[in-house]
Amino acid sequence: MSDAVQMNSVRKTFGRKVAVEGIDLSIPEGSLYGFIGPNGAGKTTTIRMIMSILFPDSGALSVLGKKSAVESKDRIGYLPEERGVYKKMKVAAFLTHMGRLKGLDARGLKPKVMDWLERVELADVAKKKCEELSKGMQQKVQFIASVLHEPDLLILDEPFSGLDPVNMRLLRDLINEQHSNGRTVIFSTHVMHQAESICDHIVMIHQGRKVLDDTLGDIRARFDPRRIHMETAESGDHSESIARVDGVDHALLKDGVHEIALRDGVDPHEAMTRLIGATRVNSIEIKRPTLEDVFVRIVTGDENHADPALVRAQILAGEQGDEGAEGGAS
Amino acid sequence: MNLWKISRVAGREFTSTAITKGFIIGALVIPAVMAALIPLIAILAASAQPPADKGTIYVLDRSGEVYDEMVGYLSPDEIRARRAETARRVAEFSTGIMGKAAGERITGSVDQAAAMVTIPEFRVVETAPDADVEEIKGDIRKQITGELAIQDPMDKVLAVVEVDADAATKANADEGYGSYQAFFRPKLNEETVGEIEDAVRWSIRERRYDNAGIDRGQINEIFSVAKRDSKEITEEGERDESSGIATFLIPVVSLVLLIIATMTGGQYLLTTTIEEKSNRVVEVLLSACSPMELMTGKIVGQLMVGSSLLLIYSSLGVTALIAFALADFVSVGMLALIFVYFLLAYFMLASFMAAIGSAVNDMREAQSLMTPVMLMMMIPYFFFMPVVRSPNSTLSTVSSFIPPISPFIMIMRVSSTDPPPAWQIAATIGVNLVAVVVFLWLAAKIFRVGLLMFGKPPNFKTLIKWIRMA
Repeated sequence: MSDAVQMNSVRKTFGRKVAVEGIDLSIPEGSLYGFIGPNGAGKTTTIRMIMSILFPDSGALSVLGKKSAVESKDRIGYLPEERGVYKKMKVAAFLTHMGRLKGLDARGLKPKVMDWLERVELADVAKKKCEELSKGMQQKVQFIASVLHEPDLLILDEPFSGLDPVNMRLLRDLINEQHSNGRTVIFSTHVMHQAESICDHIVMIHQGRKVLDDTLGDIRARFDPRRIHMETAESGDHSESIARVDGVDHALLKDGVHEIALRDGVDPHEAMTRLIGATRVNSIEIKRPTLEDVFVRIVTGDENHADPALVRAQILAGEQGDEGAEGGAS
Repeated sequence: MNLWKISRVAGREFTSTAITKGFIIGALVIPAVMAALIPLIAILAASAQPPADKGTIYVLDRSGEVYDEMVGYLSPDEIRARRAETARRVAEFSTGIMGKAAGERITGSVDQAAAMVTIPEFRVVETAPDADVEEIKGDIRKQITGELAIQDPMDKVLAVVEVDADAATKANADEGYGSYQAFFRPKLNEETVGEIEDAVRWSIRERRYDNAGIDRGQINEIFSVAKRDSKEITEEGERDESSGIATFLIPVVSLVLLIIATMTGGQYLLTTTIEEKSNRVVEVLLSACSPMELMTGKIVGQLMVGSSLLLIYSSLGVTALIAFALADFVSVGMLALIFVYFLLAYFMLASFMAAIGSAVNDMREAQSLMTPVMLMMMIPYFFFMPVVRSPNSTLSTVSSFIPPISPFIMIMRVSSTDPPPAWQIAATIGVNLVAVVVFLWLAAKIFRVGLLMFGKPPNFKTLIKWIRMA
């Protein structure tokens, strides 16, 4: 399978600020890629370069087999992070205009627009002006604008921001549908568990650099679980006795659950057997690392010496804006 | 550059600007209503003419010599003759300033107007030398209140005129002449009052000439100097001296038309660009077309708006000129040149507007960057008088070669009675073309960078930085 997007040591600066540094990337056709990273990591800049809205200072880039997206814009659907509509235009007219701009034939375009509006439950606002729509409704209209021309490559920059849980689920289903129709989908988000719930491949960007590029499964395998959560049958703190079990580094009681950290190289399954043998257990599970954990581990890794608490706070600050929406996504 | 996309952008730009209530009302309906109102007002003015006054004028002529003259002056034949004479003079005057055909046309309409108006009917009655003016004034009052019924319309007392005994003949050689006093019934027609006043004054003057032994005919002869059309000597021979309307009206109309058409298109280009940017719709658009396609489409779309205005207004103007038989002053070549200079002026202004619109975040920020552009648009107004007075002076010629004011100066020169030589027309078009290319190129660079720049409002320094960057 050929690659929908390829980037080779792409670099982009704005004045003295380096926005993207040496990004290598190949996104195969038909895959569903998530770009994650905190705000200001360089996700939007990377996406804008893929879209040929910005041009890299150095490095090579190819999109759908062409030197730049300029030549294949009509095969790409794009939902920018900075998105808007013509306020005074009617919803259906706006979508028709966008469809025509993307090279669609006027014939058959109107039923198609109406069909899409129905699918996102907006059929009744087709004749309303865009300015009369709520922000969430506008976002759905913009999503339609990006998929109306049935693109081979769909790029969505922060598609979920500002959506309520119901619409978030609707959009997630639509994205999944695009993916299962064989389209390449790239989407970015700073809310990591959104990526976790949708993507099969994650690209993590931090301070303009790619720090991770792997499938979700491989990431979980690689950042193997070093943590076990255990609920004992007898209440009370059993940390000390647990810590004495072979392979356990230390244990901590938190909200009635013992969080157990394993020593390096210890097989978690064997450790679990030993733990069950040592205490009466109500429940025990391997705590799978979240992308957030992975992210924190990467940026606080050997080379960076960053403070994990600080990084977590940074991620949290980025998510603050979408706090209300998060519940629906998980 | 994808022509299809450019045409889509241009199409939307045009429809969303020109096919709106505001634009249609502002640009089309208001001028149309005004154009329709002018003849309507003329018709109303003619039809609203009050019926001519009829009635009696009492003259208490203490001098004993003015009354007879007045009777003659106020006779229907005399009144009609005087009106015909006035019409002839108006026609002569208009022929003088607007050409023969127009003069004839105006004579025709004046004659028509004169035929429509009825002549007032006066019965001039001399009172007894010892009559009481107060008594006649009392009669007028009684007629108004209805105390005194008016049997015959001619019985209505319109005025009473008291002429001094020494009005036409001095009592003593070293004293001045006497005068007269007129009392009028209220709500008389303006012209009735005028006729009566004129009658008294004219009659008194006639009597004074006679009494002083001066021949009236001789004086008229002395005063009248026949006017012949002045000629201008040119290289080829002679021609009629340029008339006022041709030297001033046509260039000023052309200039204003050009400014309206370019400014309308330019202004809309600025607002729609700012709108797209502040609505954040711009990046959605950029996913479908390149910044160059977007800018070209927008400029072409607003060009269509400006040209429609130019087309509509200029055809109205040409129709008006034809109606007044002044079509000699415009030619197809001149109209074509106006359009060429419109294109050049528009593209220059459009490049400024596109650059400014893409650079700022809202209309308010645009103001500071717009100031120099607006000042530049004012310059042609300051140049109007000197250029129109002498279209081929050094000032006119030099300023014709300075873009972006060049098209405005040239339009005044081209539509003047003394158009510039062809080489200057060709050369200025060339200079402007170069300027258009340079301005559009610079604007494109700013446009590309500016569209996605949000935040701090830019100044000229940042604009130059962007030009270097792109």
